[in-house]
Amino acid sequence: MILQFNHLQRKSAAATTTDVIDALYGLLEEGHIGQSQFARLRIQLDWIQYRQNFREPVMVLRATNEAGEDPSIMDIHVDTRQVSPEALRGKLIEAMAREDGETPRPEDRVVLEKFQSFRSSIAWKFNGLYWHHLTDWEKATGRSYEQALPGGKSDANDAAAVADSVADFWTLLKDLENHHQLPAEIFLLEIGVGMGKRSGLWLDRFRALDEERGTKYYPRLRFLLADYALATLERSRPAVRAHLDLCSFIVLDALNPMKTLAFLRHKILQIHLTNVYDNLPDEELARRDGRLYLVEVRAYLASSEANRIAQEFALGAAEIAWMVGRLLELGPDCFPERSRGVAFWQEVWKALRLEERLVPLDELPGESLPSGLDSRQLADVLRNAPSDLRIHLSSGALESFRNTVPLLHPRGYLQVQDIFISDLNDCRLGFQGPGKLDGSIVNWVNGVLLREVAERAGYDVHFAPFHYRKGSRTSILYTTQRE
Amino acid sequence: MSLPILPTTVVGSYSMPGWLERLKTEYFARRISRVDLDEIHDTAVKAAIKDQEIAGLDIVTDGELRRDNLVDYFVERMPGVQIDRASKKFYYDFYDSVVERKLPHASLGLAKDFLFLKANTDREAKFCVTGPHSLSKRIRNTFYPNEEAFATDIAGVLNLELKELVKAGARFLQIDEPYLSGFPDDLPWAVNVLNTLVAGVQAKIGVHICYGNRYGKPSWEGSYKYLLPKIFEAKVQQLTLEFARRGEEDLDILRELAKSFEIGVGTIDVKTNAVETADVVAERIRKALEFAPAERLFILPDCGCFHLPRDVAFAKLSAMVEGTRAVRKELGK
Repeated sequence: MILQFNHLQRKSAAATTTDVIDALYGLLEEGHIGQSQFARLRIQLDWIQYRQNFREPVMVLRATNEAGEDPSIMDIHVDTRQVSPEALRGKLIEAMAREDGETPRPEDRVVLEKFQSFRSSIAWKFNGLYWHHLTDWEKATGRSYEQALPGGKSDANDAAAVADSVADFWTLLKDLENHHQLPAEIFLLEIGVGMGKRSGLWLDRFRALDEERGTKYYPRLRFLLADYALATLERSRPAVRAHLDLCSFIVLDALNPMKTLAFLRHKILQIHLTNVYDNLPDEELARRDGRLYLVEVRAYLASSEANRIAQEFALGAAEIAWMVGRLLELGPDCFPERSRGVAFWQEVWKALRLEERLVPLDELPGESLPSGLDSRQLADVLRNAPSDLRIHLSSGALESFRNTVPLLHPRGYLQVQDIFISDLNDCRLGFQGPGKLDGSIVNWVNGVLLREVAERAGYDVHFAPFHYRKGSRTSILYTTQRE
Repeated sequence: MSLPILPTTVVGSYSMPGWLERLKTEYFARRISRVDLDEIHDTAVKAAIKDQEIAGLDIVTDGELRRDNLVDYFVERMPGVQIDRASKKFYYDFYDSVVERKLPHASLGLAKDFLFLKANTDREAKFCVTGPHSLSKRIRNTFYPNEEAFATDIAGVLNLELKELVKAGARFLQIDEPYLSGFPDDLPWAVNVLNTLVAGVQAKIGVHICYGNRYGKPSWEGSYKYLLPKIFEAKVQQLTLEFARRGEEDLDILRELAKSFEIGVGTIDVKTNAVETADVVAERIRKALEFAPAERLFILPDCGCFHLPRDVAFAKLSAMVEGTRAVRKELGK
């Protein structure tokens, strides 16, 4: 048995590692778990960055049965923060019974979709809904999305980090000028501007430095603020009001900035993103006993939660799935009263869970891999990885990277501030998402695969810990030209 | 050489197929043999030649499909250069290579590949060699006192090779110097080295100078103005420059350059998969003709087609030929 210990902040009411071991041995002795299965059991006591997520506190995950195949691959995930010692044993039995292929499944869930790769799950439609109707959400919660971040603010707006970024960029411009290669127009792109605070701070600082050094670069700047939705961009304008002559506001799909900005191919000297990659569509692979599995998910609501929500919003129990569909199609206007629509949305989102199952892959899924990553590269990465692991493919992040770097000037660079896994050994330290951050999804980003994709695109990527705030889990990815 | 006016050709490389990339990488992972790889290369080169012929090019190359990149094909043949064969993860990576003693002058055996090209086409053939300036930027030097001395000795080695190629029947050789635009301050000595390279070589010699094409993206930006006036000292017949991607900004430089050199005009942007129409190509040629007479112009892509998918490369070259034919017609030639 592999038992994963993770570094949890223990709460007195929560189960401990000892409780979990005791409960499992009890289940073994009582015959709830067979000997052979016990030997292959994989227990993960999740470290979950975001307490709000898509999992039950105790969850059992199995490989789908195949004819003639031993179905004993079984993962048990326990969020020890959210389950009390008294409830642990019962929840373990309940979760195992649910996944036991021989016992009929209890009808206690309202299923919202069929099993599929996480990337295609309706969870991402909820994520899109959040960004398109952010103002509605914030009005209902009474706090901005930045306040929902761990620490209550974005590391992107750290003054010292911004000052260093400006200084580095100024040095680049000076070097280009020294080599008579400074372009007449100096393009910068910020993707995911949020409230525009970082852009405003950056431009303030750059102007001050430029004046101090008398280099007259500032008027040549062309600062592009890009985001998912026009509503967000409108909110960023006040933060850059002192620099509006230099700024352009562009609605852009972070998965493919080239689609919008192809006319700036090879022209942009700095591209910056903060907390964007962790919010792009993702899917996961797992390797167990040398075999590779795709993690498929299926969104559901616990029947008790579905009934409660239905009652609260005067819906029949059978109407809940239909109304969720309307919500995802129409947004908060799915109810005649918009505020009721937002309230329904928030209740459903809070209750939304994902069932998971492992589907064996006979070979690496070449066609379905993100662009820029082929199955041979993935095989090479996995060859050097721990034997049993579960990884994020970070499909959206890889796609975004691949479709962003063609915009870079030969001397330009990309900086991405986010939560990265830069060593696959870290995947064994715990669960890296998906979590819920307010109304959006958050996942750790697979920096190892990103490095592979970057190499084939002609860039080396480097990860520097964000040292400006103690305890920050973010890193800064930056690119250099690959020789 | 009997060629039409505005002769068409590639800069050097043709599209590198994905399957060939994978097989090359397999070779480095020691999963296929050298014999198999050579046979694969022969087959791929024949296909590349045929594609160029069908597209209608007047002058063809071997598509440089035997080459992993612009450096290693030479480095691994050059006596005196030590290479770390474990340093490649992907075939396109550069070897880590070093020169720790004076380079011996010995044959690199390139004529064999030229003869293969000649045996498989009845068109005019061009053979390309990476120049000493660019090679000196990629090979670590711990012996020579400076880059110029190192590059001069590389030029000596390659000079013998160019003469071997001429003996084998080569009439049109091209020196590729993609690093020059990244190091414009090197131009004075780089031209001297170039002259060492081509001394006594009895063939048409072209020099290709671009802004880089590593991984299908530019490595540098700037203006070709840095070439003036030193480049006039180069004892070569042709300069091949990129203009399609970079636009017309530098095109007026042709007015001066065409007095001393034939000009290979880049009319196809090889850093995008978007295929130019024949009209676009024709318009680019007409623009060039405002600065240089047709008799002095060759029509090419901006750089090698190495990074383009095969269908895109073929379509681009076909459009280039069609656009060129349209202009020839306008000129009554």
